[in-house]
Amino acid sequence: MHTEKKRSKEDTWKAADLKRYIAEGSHEDGRRGDRGESLEKHYKESRRERDKHREYYTGGRVDADEMYRHVERRKEGSQDRRDDRERNRIEERLMEKERRRERDTVDMNSGEHIKKTDRRRRDREETQERERDRQRQREKDKVRDKYTDEERVRRRQEREKEVRREEGDREYKHYRDRRSHESIDKGGSEYTDKYNRERRERHRERERQGEEYGISRSEKERRERHAERKQSEHKEGKDYQDDRRKDKHDRERRHKEQRHHDEKQKHHSESREHRDRKRTEEEVRHHRSDREAEGDKHTERRHKEEKDPKEHFKERTQEMDKELQQTNSSHTQKAEETKIVNEKETEQEYEDDFEEYEDDFEELDESDNEDGEKEELVEHKEELSLEKREEIKAIQRAMDEENKKVGALSRQNTTEIKEERPKWSRESETTESQTPQRGKFMDFVAAKQREVNKKVASKQKKRSAELLRLIDLDFTLTSSLLDLPPVNEYEMYIRSFGTANTKQAYVQCNEDNADRDIQTEEIELTEKWTQHPPEHSGACGGENLFLYDFDFGIYILSLFSDPNISPKTRDGPLNELNIDSKRLTTFLQSASQVLIVLLEEDEAERNSLRKLRTQTDDLSFSDGGLQLNTNLPFLQGHHISLIHFSEVQKHTMISVHTSTTKPSAVLLGNHTLICIWNIWEPSRPQKILLYESEVQCCCFSPGKATLVFAGTTVGSVVLWDLREHTSNHYQMTIGDDEWTFRHPSFSTDAVMSASGHFSTVMSVEVVPSAVARGQRSEVSLLAPKEEATGLSFQLASLDESGILNFWVVVELPKTNVAGSPTDLGLRPGGKVKLLHSSTLSVVDRMLHRAKKSAHLQMLRLKFLPTDSNHFFIGTNMGTVHHGTSHGLKALPKFYRDLEGNEKPVDINSISFSPFRQDLFLVGCGDGCIRLHSVSQEKPLIEWRDGCAGQSVVSVQWSQTRPAVFSVLDSASNIYLWDLLKNETKPVITEGMGKDRVTAMALFGDSEQRNTYSGVALAHESGKIQIQYFTSNLTVSSLSEVEKLTSLIEAI
Amino acid sequence: MMGTSDTYLIRPNHQEKFKPAVVKECIREVVRERLTGVRYDDEEVRQLSTTLADSIKDRVKKAGFDRYKLTVQVVIGEQRGQGVKMSTRCFWDADTDSYAEDVFITENLFCVVVVFGSYYY
Repeated sequence: MHTEKKRSKEDTWKAADLKRYIAEGSHEDGRRGDRGESLEKHYKESRRERDKHREYYTGGRVDADEMYRHVERRKEGSQDRRDDRERNRIEERLMEKERRRERDTVDMNSGEHIKKTDRRRRDREETQERERDRQRQREKDKVRDKYTDEERVRRRQEREKEVRREEGDREYKHYRDRRSHESIDKGGSEYTDKYNRERRERHRERERQGEEYGISRSEKERRERHAERKQSEHKEGKDYQDDRRKDKHDRERRHKEQRHHDEKQKHHSESREHRDRKRTEEEVRHHRSDREAEGDKHTERRHKEEKDPKEHFKERTQEMDKELQQTNSSHTQKAEETKIVNEKETEQEYEDDFEEYEDDFEELDESDNEDGEKEELVEHKEELSLEKREEIKAIQRAMDEENKKVGALSRQNTTEIKEERPKWSRESETTESQTPQRGKFMDFVAAKQREVNKKVASKQKKRSAELLRLIDLDFTLTSSLLDLPPVNEYEMYIRSFGTANTKQAYVQCNEDNADRDIQTEEIELTEKWTQHPPEHSGACGGENLFLYDFDFGIYILSLFSDPNISPKTRDGPLNELNIDSKRLTTFLQSASQVLIVLLEEDEAERNSLRKLRTQTDDLSFSDGGLQLNTNLPFLQGHHISLIHFSEVQKHTMISVHTSTTKPSAVLLGNHTLICIWNIWEPSRPQKILLYESEVQCCCFSPGKATLVFAGTTVGSVVLWDLREHTSNHYQMTIGDDEWTFRHPSFSTDAVMSASGHFSTVMSVEVVPSAVARGQRSEVSLLAPKEEATGLSFQLASLDESGILNFWVVVELPKTNVAGSPTDLGLRPGGKVKLLHSSTLSVVDRMLHRAKKSAHLQMLRLKFLPTDSNHFFIGTNMGTVHHGTSHGLKALPKFYRDLEGNEKPVDINSISFSPFRQDLFLVGCGDGCIRLHSVSQEKPLIEWRDGCAGQSVVSVQWSQTRPAVFSVLDSASNIYLWDLLKNETKPVITEGMGKDRVTAMALFGDSEQRNTYSGVALAHESGKIQIQYFTSNLTVSSLSEVEKLTSLIEAI
Repeated sequence: MMGTSDTYLIRPNHQEKFKPAVVKECIREVVRERLTGVRYDDEEVRQLSTTLADSIKDRVKKAGFDRYKLTVQVVIGEQRGQGVKMSTRCFWDADTDSYAEDVFITENLFCVVVVFGSYYY
């Protein structure tokens, strides 16, 4: 058919192209096959047959119908083939001549004569053979390539397969598929119908020409094929699957077409009478009589079939499988074969469903055939001769051999074989006779299989290469599937040795329930306290120690008034034990002092009366006197250098006992002792102050005498705070009495070396407070209490080199027992300290006036009581320097004697009048006494021989009488001056005899209630005698100050 | 298959994707059904593990993971207090491939079933 046309092309085709072409060709074949009248006829026939069967087996037993259908057909076929056989034999003989291979076929064919059962198939094969031979002839003529020819053959085979498949399909569909696609098919049906008709015509022509074997026929075929190809070529570009789908569709369509066609043909032209008849038969289903006509048709069909597939089957036989041949040769084996086919089919993993689908039909087809053949078997039992069986065996043997060969070659290529196998199996029925030819073409099969193999492998390779690009493989994390930990020892133990339902448990038997017992007895606690050093009664205490109350004083007083006071009142306070001990201590101290003073005064008054009597004999001015008890062990041998009275507490006196030069057995011989006396309490000094070096001067604090300042020969200024508790000070028991020696609370010794004094401090004076200024008269009364409260005042200290220092007295808010880390001059526990305020150099001012005096010494310092700005300094040049601490210089600058000369005379004493504060007395070393007014440089009065040539030690105004003053000279004479009585010489001159008086101090109180005045005399022996002045010296007359003023003015 | 531009299905569609949870449930059911009350017997277990694997495979196949190659591994061991560790590591395309595992432990045996599903592209 179309092979001739193709051949020219195929010469140069490559394997891949070929493959593709094969694929396409199969479609073409399929399509052509569809159109091919042979197929159609075949189908129709089968239909018809079936119909006939239905006629036979009434009752619509379709299955049975099928069963007998083939039998019928075969019967028919046998008739046909008998006709054909003659022709076949001629053909065979021709073939024998042509080819050696054909001999086999001839053998087969010769055997075939006997075989009635396989007649039909053999006929077909023979015709194929014949056709093939014709082609061979043509091949030889045209010197065609054998291989390409084979390829073509293979293609043809495939086409044939397609056709077969379609047949099966149609059959299958006929009783299975009732889906209607008529709407789609109708359009094409007309055409296909016509076409089919045409083809049928052509075939009939060919039939007629068949015996001629002329070239003209092949030419015609070629033309025909060419036309077909043209038809199919337009589909070539399309997808294979698409084609396949189309094929399938086509098949379905055709299937329907044919039904449709059948109906159509009823109304068709006369030329198709037989067919019409057939259709009507189909419809009526009772036309048995039509068999003859049908038989004609059948022969026609057969003929056509023979022609059509003769090319397809030409070489088919060579490639036959064992299974297929088995099927052909024996009916029993056929069943096996189908099984094998089915098995193989399952293995065809990559074959798409289409093929599988086809296979399904195949099976059915085969089973149909089988059934048919079975029927045949039954019918022609007699005909199955021994010869036939032998032949079958021979064929089997040959096939076995072949299989061995093929199997060796194509073991790997099973897939390819499988592809083809179904087709072969389909063809097996018809191609049985051609099996002997197979040996010759074995190599091609193997080559083809290899090629296909290669192709598939490369395809897979390409696929994998393409896919691997798209896929990235990765490692998963190692994931734990099972983690069964080993059983621990205890569980193992329990499992292996323990009994079931037991468990080990641990119980502690009351071990932690221990008893605790305390065997010691309860400690009794009492609260007590103590103080160290335990110098007084309050040194220690406890809850039950205090028996006193606040009204202790009342109690004491009541003791005095009524000694028989009931203990009941004492018990009352006893119960109230909650007492502030410190407050009580202070109360007791002050109270005891008061009591002691009271007692001593009481005693002293009694004694003084006695003493006065005795002493009035001695001293003309004395109105009686008393002696302070300086007969104390530590005061023995001490020389009294200074006696000083407090200006406010007029009964308080200081006595400075300088250190003794001679070695003394007595303690504190090298110390300076300062005793604070209350002149009403002469039995013992109130306080004893202790200092290591010599004290040159001292003074009380203004107001209440709580502080004592002293200037020392070593240039330091020290102070004692008399308020300090005795327990804080050194206490010594001498004899039966206990004495407290107080060290200075503050000393400028090492602390203020830069701003302190570098020579002996000659004078220490309290700078009078400015508050008192201008109110002098009241100051004496009011000032004490005011100044006592606020301890803020200035202190001035003058050393002999003329340095005048001002100090500010500061009281610290609280004491530090551990001592001050910053101020080393402060005694631990001390509260009062001196802060350096300013320094004045008095010498510089004087030197530019008195340059010749090389050794100017400052001896005495006094402040103007009314103005603290003005100070007066007595020098060793007989002059008193007048200066101011700040502000303008005051005039006159110097106070000289009447001559106005400067001569080296010490100014030993300066005393301001307590009544006329602008007047002061100056006692000179040459015995001269001068009365100066502040405003005048020259003295108002100068008494040159006031002391009979002896140097004046001390000169002091009386505290009670403005016009009276007392002078002590170095010869221990005391002169009492009363300016109102005698302004040229003293009224009383008294020599103290053998016991030299070293110091003198006047005291007195001008209070109206109890006016007294006197003089305290310190003797060289250490005694301190206090002499009260007589009343004429004590009590001042009215307007005595005025008289003095007038007197002075008169002078 | 002859087209110049081949198209490949390299990802399963969602319904067909291998779902470990589903597979795990399959495994669990099968294993529970077959192994409850079974005592370890090394003769039996040899056969049991293979049949178990087969039935699990069949069961999973029914779950409809198209185009998946299924690999079923069944390990049955006796429980005698020993420590056992099993782990897996795979080299595959994590987008498509997956696995499901289930462990079944009784008094005297343990059974580990792993089903790997690898996708055919």
